[in-house]
Amino acid sequence: MAVRERNNIYLPVKAEVVEKRHLSADVSLFTVRPDVPFDYRPGQFFMVSLWGAGEVPISVASLRKEGAKRSQQGGDLIEFCIRKAGKVTSLIHDVEKGGFLWIRGPYGRSFPLEYATGREMLVVGGGIGLAPLRPVIQWALRERNSIKKVSLLYGARTPDDLIFRDDLKRWAESGVNVVLTVDRATDGWDGNLGVVTTLWHKSEIDFREAVSFICGPEVMIRSAINDLFFFGMPEDRIITTLEAHMKCGVGKCGHCYAGRLYICTDGPVFSFREIKEHNLL
Amino acid sequence: MDKILTVCPYCGCGCGLYLHVEEGRLVGVSPSRSHPVNRGSLCVKGWNAYEFVVHPDRLLKPMIREDSSGLRECSWDEALDYVAHRLAEIRDRSGPDSIGILSSAKCTNEENYLIMKFARAVIGTNNIDHCARLCHSSTVGGLAAAFGSGAMTNSISEIRDAKVLFVIGSNTTEQHPMIGMHMLDAVDRGAILIVADPRRPQIAEFAHIHLRHRPGTDVALLMGIMHVIVNEGLVDIDFVRRRTENFDAFEHVLRGFHPQAVESITGVSIEDIRRVARIYAMEKRSMLFYAMGITQHITGVDNVRACANLVMLTGHIGLPSSGINPLRGQNNVQGACDMGALPNVYSGYQTVTDPRARRKFERAWRRKLPTKPGLTVVEMTEAAYEGRLKALYITGENPLLSDPDLNHVKEAMKGLEFLVVQDIFPNETMEYADVVLPACSFAEKDGTFTNTERRVQLLTRAIEPIGDSRPDWEIIADLSGRMGYEMQYRGTYEIMEEIALLTPSYGGMLHHRLRERHGLQWPCPDVGHPGTPFLHRKKFAKGLGTFITVEFRPPAELPDEEYPFILTTGRIYFHYHTGTMCRRTAVLEREEPACYVEINPLDAERLHVRDKFPVKVSSRRGSIVVSARVTERTPEGVVFIPFHYSEAAANLLTNAALDPTVKIPEYKVCAVKVEPVMKEDRRTRPVKVVDLEDLRIT
Amino acid sequence: MRSEWVLPKGHLSYWLRQLRNRASLIAPLRVDGDIVFKSLENIHEVSLDNPALLPSPKEFLLPQQEGMFWTEGERIRPLLNKERRFIFGVRSCDVSALGLLDRFFLEGYGDPFYRERRRNTIFLSIVCNNPDPTCFCIGLGTGPYLEKGFDIQLTDLGDRYFVQAGNRQSQRLVRQWSFLFTTPRKVDYEDQYEVFLSSKARFQKRISLESVREYILAGKVRDSFWESVSERCFECGGCVYECPLCTCFTVTDRSYSFGTERVRLWDTCLFKGFTRMAGGVLPNEKRVLRTKRWYYHKLVHYPDVLGSFGCVGCGRCTVTCPGRIDMATIAIKLRDLQDNGR
Ligand SMILES: Cc1cc2nc3c(=O)[nH]c(=O)nc-3n(C[C@H](O)[C@H](O)[C@H](O)COP(=O)(O)OP(=O)(O)OC[C@H]3O[C@@H](n4cnc5c(N)ncnc54)[C@H](O)[C@@H]3O)c2cc1C
Ligand code: SF4
Ligand code: SF4
Ligand code: SF4
Ligand code: FES
Repeated sequence: MAVRERNNIYLPVKAEVVEKRHLSADVSLFTVRPDVPFDYRPGQFFMVSLWGAGEVPISVASLRKEGAKRSQQGGDLIEFCIRKAGKVTSLIHDVEKGGFLWIRGPYGRSFPLEYATGREMLVVGGGIGLAPLRPVIQWALRERNSIKKVSLLYGARTPDDLIFRDDLKRWAESGVNVVLTVDRATDGWDGNLGVVTTLWHKSEIDFREAVSFICGPEVMIRSAINDLFFFGMPEDRIITTLEAHMKCGVGKCGHCYAGRLYICTDGPVFSFREIKEHNLL
Repeated sequence: MDKILTVCPYCGCGCGLYLHVEEGRLVGVSPSRSHPVNRGSLCVKGWNAYEFVVHPDRLLKPMIREDSSGLRECSWDEALDYVAHRLAEIRDRSGPDSIGILSSAKCTNEENYLIMKFARAVIGTNNIDHCARLCHSSTVGGLAAAFGSGAMTNSISEIRDAKVLFVIGSNTTEQHPMIGMHMLDAVDRGAILIVADPRRPQIAEFAHIHLRHRPGTDVALLMGIMHVIVNEGLVDIDFVRRRTENFDAFEHVLRGFHPQAVESITGVSIEDIRRVARIYAMEKRSMLFYAMGITQHITGVDNVRACANLVMLTGHIGLPSSGINPLRGQNNVQGACDMGALPNVYSGYQTVTDPRARRKFERAWRRKLPTKPGLTVVEMTEAAYEGRLKALYITGENPLLSDPDLNHVKEAMKGLEFLVVQDIFPNETMEYADVVLPACSFAEKDGTFTNTERRVQLLTRAIEPIGDSRPDWEIIADLSGRMGYEMQYRGTYEIMEEIALLTPSYGGMLHHRLRERHGLQWPCPDVGHPGTPFLHRKKFAKGLGTFITVEFRPPAELPDEEYPFILTTGRIYFHYHTGTMCRRTAVLEREEPACYVEINPLDAERLHVRDKFPVKVSSRRGSIVVSARVTERTPEGVVFIPFHYSEAAANLLTNAALDPTVKIPEYKVCAVKVEPVMKEDRRTRPVKVVDLEDLRIT
Repeated sequence: MRSEWVLPKGHLSYWLRQLRNRASLIAPLRVDGDIVFKSLENIHEVSLDNPALLPSPKEFLLPQQEGMFWTEGERIRPLLNKERRFIFGVRSCDVSALGLLDRFFLEGYGDPFYRERRRNTIFLSIVCNNPDPTCFCIGLGTGPYLEKGFDIQLTDLGDRYFVQAGNRQSQRLVRQWSFLFTTPRKVDYEDQYEVFLSSKARFQKRISLESVREYILAGKVRDSFWESVSERCFECGGCVYECPLCTCFTVTDRSYSFGTERVRLWDTCLFKGFTRMAGGVLPNEKRVLRTKRWYYHKLVHYPDVLGSFGCVGCGRCTVTCPGRIDMATIAIKLRDLQDNGR
């Protein structure tokens, strides 16, 4: 994987917020233009920081345009979908359009999208976990000729927590089988109720043949991979991304270390086979 | 790269540590290997003691309150002239006793001495006190009356040779970690460890016997144990006869504490009481330890007296590895008491009511001194509330977090005409201050600290003062000069010389002597004296030890229908006191970033509370919302809250009921109720991006 | 190029003085009853009969607190420490540890702060002829003397030192003052060998981490054992702070009115907040998980990844651990448990 050659791996680059969109009460999508271009792939993450607040790992939520060239103003655009989870992310949420974030990356292994070529693709997301999966679906739509079918199972706590709603709509229109569900319905919702793992039958996927990409809360990941394995999906093709406390993103600080692996550099994307081998969940 | 030996600023263990300095900056800490207490170890607070020193919150400049715009920065000259002027004016108008001074257990001995001299000689009042009132005044009161000296009788390094360790009301491994280390070593070497604590602190994991008596029943428990000792003929008769007095009166009272009765008061079984009595009495090298679990009660002094009686009864005192050991909380709380930062004594516990002592100090200080003992911390608050106290000068303390019944304290602070706060960081009390003076941290000054084993140790300046801050002693000396009383010292060693002259137990404590072998233990009456590792050898400090009779009194506030839980408060390992230093240390703050309440699983189930759920804890005085921590450490019917957090201050709940003798507040027992809090709806801004209609895709 | 010399003892202080004129010279000094590494004022103060010093020389490459960046507005200045230093009197185990640290910090994503300090530091180590009771490098091949991997290694031959330089930069240090040194003769080699042998004979502890690793991998170490270990942990962090091979750090920002500093600070995996995730989830809330993690990292994962144990047998954790659950004690306990067939 291409590692950006810069002599100080901890030195972040300035990135202007060119657009900020509220996706739900506590999730916003930041579109930023960094001073220098970055080459990144779905599943990778950046360390995003504000001076004085700190750095947090955030996955890329957008697909890099193919053959994107250095534009006049600097690099091309990157999108980060950030949930207000605590101290740093709250301060990031205070940054408005025209303000700056500081980013370094991309770090980590990306999703092995090539596994999907010639197969069916199942995408399973929960809550904010849709963010890193969004570029996966975008890629699949771009490569739709080589992918047999795309199915998305997406769940959130309440209808208000479903993010990327216009994307969901667009994807459905483009032929993705979008299945939504919520834990708790509010007025006006008459869709599915319950966790995503109750909806396998609606995925219309041949599990033995497909490849799956999963991201969400740990409990959801755990039951999803177990179910899919049970349905006969090979453990190499059950692919998820894990979360850990991270301070450096480059395998030095030790926070993300788990069972001989650094989630930041050896992951965050892992197959079920690796998860089992290294006892990661 | 330089390394400077100094003393840990946190707890009373007084560990020796090196501060690492690179280009004038603190870059780290390492333990001293040769130090008799820590021997190459430190606890997590000591290891991280370098970090808060340069925290951005440090106060850098003096500030004066402008009526309209709040505090504004000013020069030292302006600030001190103003303070001098206002204090003089208030003193002349309302009398010296309308001014109160709070000294600090975080300040050095030299500073405490100067602050107490300032109060008595310059202001002319005995209204001087510090937070030891809030933790160990019962010890000073209780042990002084029994033995003539209120300090740990043994050295920490003697612990490993003890055969029995009886630890009561102390979470030693977490609050005095390095003493806990020595205890563990003793246990590894075969000592029997007895822990008496209503909760289950870490040290109890290693205990051979853990007594979980009901909070506030310590006197009964100890009397029950002594009852067995007397009954079974385990008393050290020779010792009692030759070295103590008043035994008969005491024995008379003791008869009332039959184990049966004690069992029903304390909830500890007769068998356990008997076992502990036998083990403790029959082994010769038995050490008794206690901490705030004993002292912070309305019966604090009685608790201490009961402990003192126990060691006299068995003759377990006056020998190596045998004695009574109050574990003092703050790094220099022992020193602040020794230096007379108390309303009734000068340095070395020479009482202000004793004309001979007073005359000695009057001659040395060339001033007439007040004769009447002054007000204690809690009494000062009361006096301020009632308008009798007009001005308060606070150094290194934060009454708005540490004192009981905070809402009341706030009112009192508001009522003051003039409030000076001198500290290293902003604190809650500063909101009401008229003048704020920036002081130096431990890394920027010289002086001495006295640890809990009476070891007077040298502190060495490692870096230049941050900003315009100045060491407390310099500020006081400067201020004093502006009030017409010159205090000219070229360094802290000169102050120590004066202390040595006037304080018998510190007679030989000159700085150059303290530099070797990590200090000396008092009493050290002259420059030839090697210091005293253990006290009361052959003879008690006051001659005969006195059995003081005690009766059992229940806590001031007991649980009832409305407030069914007993609340007990305390410290936790990663934090310390009011949190000014540790909560500005990244790793420590990350470990325990928020306040919590410990509650027993059975109680939690009854209340439908789960781990990490928010709950509201209320007492008759206030309420706070904290997250629940469900744990067996806390017994049924009892909840525990650490008091380090200003955003959820446990002392909004505690009771200001005081011990009648030494006026220590009852932090360890009050009645509360606990209710689960429903998570308020987190949605504040409903977002409509796409109509739900559109989303009905499947 | 030649890399071995003999230095008469009388010439040592002259050489050190010359070195001090070139860069800062840090050496073990006796102060206040302890021996600590610090900048040297008087050459004659150097104390060479030192035990493995607290803390380890990793503090010169990864200080307990290190500024990373200073920012004012949009200007960012990396805070690289370019001070040239000679660290004299380091022990062999620590030099072995430095070799592993170099691999950890410089391979893959190179750590710029470490690299800058490493580049400007030369370690002059001394063969241990008087190991401490806590030392156990001998079972690990990380001491008491080294065959390779050192910058400069000195062996005390009584009236003279045998000097070996392990790389070009270090060779230059000798050749610049070549008049101080002589060419080794047969007797010097023999004496050096003699010192190696006698030093080896002085060790009190012989510990095989290899067998501990085998017990663990064979599943012979029960969780109840780790429970009993972790129960005694004070969570002081001392073992990690002292260990020359522990590298975890945390990063924090400090905002002053005149700028912001991003600093990194030593951190330890023995604290539960170390792995705290958003929303307060604590994957390692149970202390036993953290204790196990430390031992597994050093004994199981380190060898898998870097080919040697995450322990060089310096014995520092034995000195510093208030709970007496350090590497050597645990290894001995496990051996005894196995010997008793449990
Ligand atoms: C690989 C990866 C990708 C991620 N992608 C996204 C994303 O696309 N969108 C999104 O909203 N969130 C994402 N997260 C989670 C996000 O990093 C955390 O929500 C964030 O770190 C919380 O920081 P805070 O200071 O706001 O919260 P606090 O709860 O106040 O955290 C305090 C400290 O703990 C650390 N911390 C807490 N939780 C985490 C965590 N999960 N990971 C790392 N450090 C943590 C932070 O460094 C912070 O300094 C990702 C996490 C990882 C590991
Ligand atoms: S035990 Fe006390 S004195 Fe020692 S390092 Fe810890 S806080 Fe400091
Ligand atoms: S584990 Fe202990 S003995 Fe081993 S290298 Fe680290 S500190 Fe030294
Ligand atoms: S040194 Fe010992 S007590 Fe301290 S953290 Fe390490 S294992 Fe725990
Ligand atoms: S985030 Fe620092 S090692 Fe993985």
